[in-house]
Amino acid sequence: MRTYTGALTLLLGLAVQPAFADELFDSGKLLATGGVSQVEGAGGGGLANWALITGYGTRDGIGANVHYTAVPLPDYTLQTTGVAVGLFDRLELSYAWQAFDTQDVGAALGLGRGFTFHQNIFGAKLKLIGDAVYDQDSWLPQIAVGLQHKENDRAAVIAAVGGKNSVGTDFYLTATKLFLAESLLVDVTLRETKANQFGILGFGGDKHNEYSTQFEGSGAYLFSRRFALGAELRTKPSNLGIVHEGAAWDLFAAYFFSKNLSITAAYADLGNIAIENDQHGAYLSLQAGL
Amino acid sequence: MKALAATFFLLALATPLWAQDALFDDMGGQPGINKLVDASVDNYLADPRIKDVFSESNIDRIRAELKDQFCAVAGGPCRYTGHSMEATHKGLHLTNANFNALVEDLQTAMDSCNIPFATQNRFLARLAPMQHQVVTR
Amino acid sequence: MKKLLPLFLLVPAAAFAADEAHTVVQKGRAFRPAEVNINRGESLTFTNDDEFIHQIYVQAPGFAFDSDERNPGQDITETFTAPGTFEVRCHIHPKMKLVVHVK
Repeated sequence: MRTYTGALTLLLGLAVQPAFADELFDSGKLLATGGVSQVEGAGGGGLANWALITGYGTRDGIGANVHYTAVPLPDYTLQTTGVAVGLFDRLELSYAWQAFDTQDVGAALGLGRGFTFHQNIFGAKLKLIGDAVYDQDSWLPQIAVGLQHKENDRAAVIAAVGGKNSVGTDFYLTATKLFLAESLLVDVTLRETKANQFGILGFGGDKHNEYSTQFEGSGAYLFSRRFALGAELRTKPSNLGIVHEGAAWDLFAAYFFSKNLSITAAYADLGNIAIENDQHGAYLSLQAGL
Repeated sequence: MKALAATFFLLALATPLWAQDALFDDMGGQPGINKLVDASVDNYLADPRIKDVFSESNIDRIRAELKDQFCAVAGGPCRYTGHSMEATHKGLHLTNANFNALVEDLQTAMDSCNIPFATQNRFLARLAPMQHQVVTR
Repeated sequence: MKKLLPLFLLVPAAAFAADEAHTVVQKGRAFRPAEVNINRGESLTFTNDDEFIHQIYVQAPGFAFDSDERNPGQDITETFTAPGTFEVRCHIHPKMKLVVHVK
């Protein structure tokens, strides 16, 4: 509830901004160069975090957006709602509220049908060097570091399945480059994490309770200013004894109606989620902002 | 970190050099470039975000210089004899927002000249690094 | 030398003898002053104190010149050998105008 109020307040605030704020929210970045919102709320693709700073604010301004993502899987539904701000094309702050509804599996596990895990995810990303768009004469990508701090509200269940913590922080290093002459965007990200299935089943486990380095990456081809098709891969650690966790991947299409609205649709395979295999299904995300 | 850099370096090398001169033809040669320059300058002058940047300039002179410069950038048989991007833009105190607005107007002009999107991006890729000299604020 | 220029401009143009150089500054894509009075045979030195490259030209029936370009910090001197009123302009910046009354 608080998330929806916060997002609504932001939207109203953007709508009634005074004249001087028009310069601060300059909407000066080129279309699509803020990426979209990835599943944990950071600017990026669908699964992967990118080095791009969210929003359309140039280095002289600010951009902000809200997003909603729904991933209906065979046995579960994952929904994320979030808000993110890009400050001077340098710092990105994000907050996402994730709801993972276990539906019938919840009943089977004795948790009750429709048992839902929630996560509050606080993100921060800092661009270190490079510009993905302008540095076409250099091999240097745009590089950023960031973190995503996650708090899951089902500590007891997490402990019951072997998870060691209901709170955890991912750290990541990301490099993104637009090969403009090839109309190709490439991202490579390394993530230090203890999260079990993005944090849905907590952090650390009975099998393994240390940070491990995971890989995520995206490749996207730009068909027009508004439309891109891509693919992503994201590996995950396998910390819990009760389940072997594999990599997630997706094939996505992103359409940018304008700098104020984009939609991303994907076919996503999240692998094993909460002991159920083959969790693949549709991924749909909307981002609105400036 | 080194692995990341090496990956991107190898991908950058993958672009064949012979493809560079084909761009001039793919943009319609000098007639295509002339049409593009005139369409894009018309867009700049009509764009409330950047039209004032040109208010003190000699527009005919700019059209002529751009036709030369775009020909050279696209790999055509021209030599751009104008001044450096830094010298000609320094006094304008341009921002990234100004630069991007011009890029958008150029993209719109390339659309109206029926230049395929992939070809547009090959051309823009050569113009993009000019941001370093053109944007000073 | 540059510190003396503002004082230089305050002195009435008529006080100068023939063949002396007067200075006009190019700044903010404009000439300062925008109008001068000189005697025939005298020169004007144009100092580029601007952030832009400039050049100068006059196109009149009795008198004409078309100079090279000058970068910020550079000077150029032109001698006005004909009487009359002339407009000095810049090819790069068409709104720049200096009116020169030559006696």
